[in-house]
Amino acid sequence: MSAVAAKPQAGGAINPTAMGVGIVLLLILLALAWYISPGVGFMALIGIVIGGILIGFGTHFVPVGGAPAAMGQAPGIATGVAMLAAGAGLAGLFGGAWAAAAGQDLIVVVVSGGIGGGLMMAITCMMVNFVYVFGMGIPAASGKVAKDPITGDTQAEYKSQGTEGHGLPFVSFVGGVIGGILGGAGGTLIYVELLNLYQATLPAVMQITAAQVMPIAVSVAGMFAVGLFLVNAVLTAYNITGTIEGPHDPKFKRWPRSIVASAVASALCGLVAILIVVL
Amino acid sequence: MSVKVEVIEGGVPHQKIMIAGLVSTLVCLYLTYLNVLTNTEMFSFFGGLAVIAALIWGSHTIKVLCSYGIGTGVPSAGMIAFGSGVMAMLLATKFGVIAGIPAAPIVATILAAVIGFILGYVSNNILNMKIPAMVQALTEMSIVGALTLMGFSALITGGFTFAGLTTSKITVMGMTLLTHQNSFLGGCLIAVAFLLGAIAIQHPFNATLGPGWKQDRMLMLTAECGFLSMLAAAIMSFAFISIGSAVIALVIAVIGWLYTYQQYMVLSKRDAAAWLDSKPIPDVEGH
Repeated sequence: MSAVAAKPQAGGAINPTAMGVGIVLLLILLALAWYISPGVGFMALIGIVIGGILIGFGTHFVPVGGAPAAMGQAPGIATGVAMLAAGAGLAGLFGGAWAAAAGQDLIVVVVSGGIGGGLMMAITCMMVNFVYVFGMGIPAASGKVAKDPITGDTQAEYKSQGTEGHGLPFVSFVGGVIGGILGGAGGTLIYVELLNLYQATLPAVMQITAAQVMPIAVSVAGMFAVGLFLVNAVLTAYNITGTIEGPHDPKFKRWPRSIVASAVASALCGLVAILIVVL
Repeated sequence: MSVKVEVIEGGVPHQKIMIAGLVSTLVCLYLTYLNVLTNTEMFSFFGGLAVIAALIWGSHTIKVLCSYGIGTGVPSAGMIAFGSGVMAMLLATKFGVIAGIPAAPIVATILAAVIGFILGYVSNNILNMKIPAMVQALTEMSIVGALTLMGFSALITGGFTFAGLTTSKITVMGMTLLTHQNSFLGGCLIAVAFLLGAIAIQHPFNATLGPGWKQDRMLMLTAECGFLSMLAAAIMSFAFISIGSAVIALVIAVIGWLYTYQQYMVLSKRDAAAWLDSKPIPDVEGH
């Protein structure tokens, strides 16, 4: 079979056996966390898994165009899933970390993280449309739906022949902002859970005071949050296989697979992060 | 997509590169223990050599994986390698000497292999990627990420124990103080090491892929990127290790970078259809 004749096999199908294995794996990892650290460690891992799921689910909303979008042949922002998700998540992480440093409680911190991520995506989406409309001279049109699900505008008249649509239609813009909010909130949740865990346990592990442990706790928690974010974002990129237009894209229906995958990956990496202070 | 778009024509087989990469990385990492034996910091540069060996192996693994057209861009592979590797590396630094042998590099390898294997299973089966090389590639890349970060921490601070990475000594008016803020982890230099490695691992295949791909040219570019990262890390190491030791690492990085850059230019000229030495702005003569 030549490369040209090859059909993408990574379709929307769900592999029930693998999903079952994934859920069993998740339960085993949670049980391990419960066994080694029943109190603070287990609760932190629950938070990390929820954060990972938020990242995985949120990334599906983001309009990712990849290389075709850069040439105006597909709708979306002209870069890869991993880069966009990392950008939104890290912007959110900065917002959330700032709120955490100001001593706010968990809800405020996570919401600020979400706002940071959503704001970053809103700015990105707007500037991308500026470049598309005024720089490249192309209108925004979706190739996947006949009418914009939110505004009801018809798309076909604006779509150039031979393309899958171009620019950033309104529904993609809204999807991008929702994705940024979910991703930023998820990344911040992971960071805050790890920060609280390290602040509570590292002084005893390292035999130093709480003030001395602060830079190490912030740095290690931040590094793990970034690592977990990248793992979840890349796994979601594998789920989408390249490009997606936003919540109206048929590929959006693949999210159940991504939730299980993100939960397993976050539980695994989170367990390693917890082991650092337990061992 | 499960059809390989490109095939490796000629060149060293991947298996050989993998074994050579793993062995030479581990040997270089263990050579940094000479610091402990001789009570100096002169052998920190072996950490940088470990980084380059690991990166060469890793960039070839990325080539094997991304030849299947995963549709997400080559950089994502570098990101997942280091995202999963940093976990294994940080946990491994907690392991000191087991049964008389320093265990951290071995523990990092095993731990990263386990994490990478599970991530490979998740992406291949749960996410239905169905790429034959997926599980092995993600396992290898997780190990590469962990060992690269370990090499960077050895290069910058002279070792990779958790205590060593979280504390450093500063001298204030003749007094030696123990500080946590100015350490590899406390100052979050690991974030810089993370991206120095992640960019160096994903760039070579991203830059050389295509019909004219040649294995030796890509690997030479990897070595060049590795030495460039080592150069930046060697400059950072002035803050942690003695000036003499840092200069040794810096000199090795500069020499290695100049040599690999020059070799890469030779290989690029060899593979190019034509080569024209032009000036940035052409001279306009008498008109």
